[in-house]
Amino acid sequence: MQRLRYYLRIYFLIETQYIKSKMQYRDDFIISGIGMVFSSLTTIAVFWVLLASIPDLAGWNFDQLVFIYAFYMLAISPFQILFDHFWQLRFHVIEGTFIKYYFRPLNMMFYYVSEMFDIKGVVQFVLGIAMFIYASIRLGVVWNLPQVLLLLVTMISAALVTISIMVIAACTSFWIYNSYPVLDLARRLREFSPYPMTIFDGFFKLMFTYIIPIGFVAFYPAQIFLNTGSNSTAVYLSPLIGAATFALAYWVWMKGVNGYTGTGS
Amino acid sequence: MRAYLATTRGSFLAYLAYRSGFIFSILNNLVYITIAFFLWRSIFQGQETLRGLTFDQTFLYITLASSLMVTLKTWTDWEISHQIVSGSIIMSLVKPVKFQWLMMSQSVGFSVMNFLTVVVPSVLFLVFVFQVPFYSGIGLLFLPLALVFSFVLNTTIDYMIGLTSFYTESIWGISATKDIIILFLSGSLIPLQFFPDWAQQTLKLLPFQAMYHLPLMMLIEPEQPVMTYVMSLGVQLFWVAALLALARLFYNRAIRVLRVAGG
Repeated sequence: MQRLRYYLRIYFLIETQYIKSKMQYRDDFIISGIGMVFSSLTTIAVFWVLLASIPDLAGWNFDQLVFIYAFYMLAISPFQILFDHFWQLRFHVIEGTFIKYYFRPLNMMFYYVSEMFDIKGVVQFVLGIAMFIYASIRLGVVWNLPQVLLLLVTMISAALVTISIMVIAACTSFWIYNSYPVLDLARRLREFSPYPMTIFDGFFKLMFTYIIPIGFVAFYPAQIFLNTGSNSTAVYLSPLIGAATFALAYWVWMKGVNGYTGTGS
Repeated sequence: MRAYLATTRGSFLAYLAYRSGFIFSILNNLVYITIAFFLWRSIFQGQETLRGLTFDQTFLYITLASSLMVTLKTWTDWEISHQIVSGSIIMSLVKPVKFQWLMMSQSVGFSVMNFLTVVVPSVLFLVFVFQVPFYSGIGLLFLPLALVFSFVLNTTIDYMIGLTSFYTESIWGISATKDIIILFLSGSLIPLQFFPDWAQQTLKLLPFQAMYHLPLMMLIEPEQPVMTYVMSLGVQLFWVAALLALARLFYNRAIRVLRVAGG
């Protein structure tokens, strides 16, 4: 408990410094915020354009798709806001600046992620909440206590799945250096998680459910709340999948960290 | 001219230094093609045509749009921003060459490499795995030139976005916004035919459709009258001229606010 308090205090201190240093680029925050809004609304715009030509997407109407997408936005926010530094891991590894993270009496992953706090991710989070409320009202989703608890559990699991997939993708830089293409691939897979997984069949359905579990980032957990009666039992595995993928991601991180030899300068 | 060719050659070599990324870039595109296949299959749901396009045409349009996007991704905006923030832009400015052509000749190298390493395998994948039929017709003759225009339009927009760093000294936000706008309004995410009529009319007045939609239509409907394609090239040429002029104006303005601290 004391350790937790110590870590929270450290986190707060580092974050304050980080935000101060970012304050000198105020324009950047505004432009980035706008960029975030645009990129968040693209998928909604895609749904909107498509549903002008067809009555539903694999059985899902516009409001339901917005609900699933809002769930997705909230589920990826923890990665975006707290783990954003992983996008830069490749630079630290290539240039050798990663060495500094070995010299602090702190958990390395904690210290690494604490160095960055993505303010623009907050824009996405707020937008996600707004969409979530909008879609809930339109669909008449009832939020009683058990439902809210279920939402929290599934949301945390979904966030863990996203974090794990992206962390594993970023950690490939320990072996192949330029991990950008891998991260890009992971992001692309992630972007399809709000689409109905029922469009896939056979091998791909299995893959996106169990091997690269992007189905658990949004579609499977979000449909619990939509009462469509189409819940597969796989939905209730979501906390298990969240914990398992995170354990795997942490293992990959440790493996990479322990094998890193630096650049010699 | 020799200086620009040397830059292009340099960018070939720089690309080769990070070749381990190839496989993932190809994989990335193949994954997208596969997902697009399932997505559009479920959208068509057995219907012969939607909005005047068959499934095969739509699928070809979408997947080649994605491959074209990979080809055109040369990070010019990021490169310029990086040079401005680090101050190394001075080294580019003192050279007796035009900055814009320097950046463009670097892009040529990257684009050609992207094309060879990502697009060629993707097309083979489309032909052999998805057995997509390619169409033949007079339109294909116009395609190479149309693609050159797409490249010039894309790199000019990237160049102008990069120049905004003279003012903001940061790039993520504006570059991401640009990517999204092009992605959505050029038809590369959803073919323009699927947009509501009023939106289609508006999008036809913007430069983005000239980058993706016009060349892609030459590929999926190559049997239109020749005039259609001449018109398309005309529209592209108009935008090339307009954007190049705009870029020149913008550069002359932006260069005045450049401040480089130390060296």
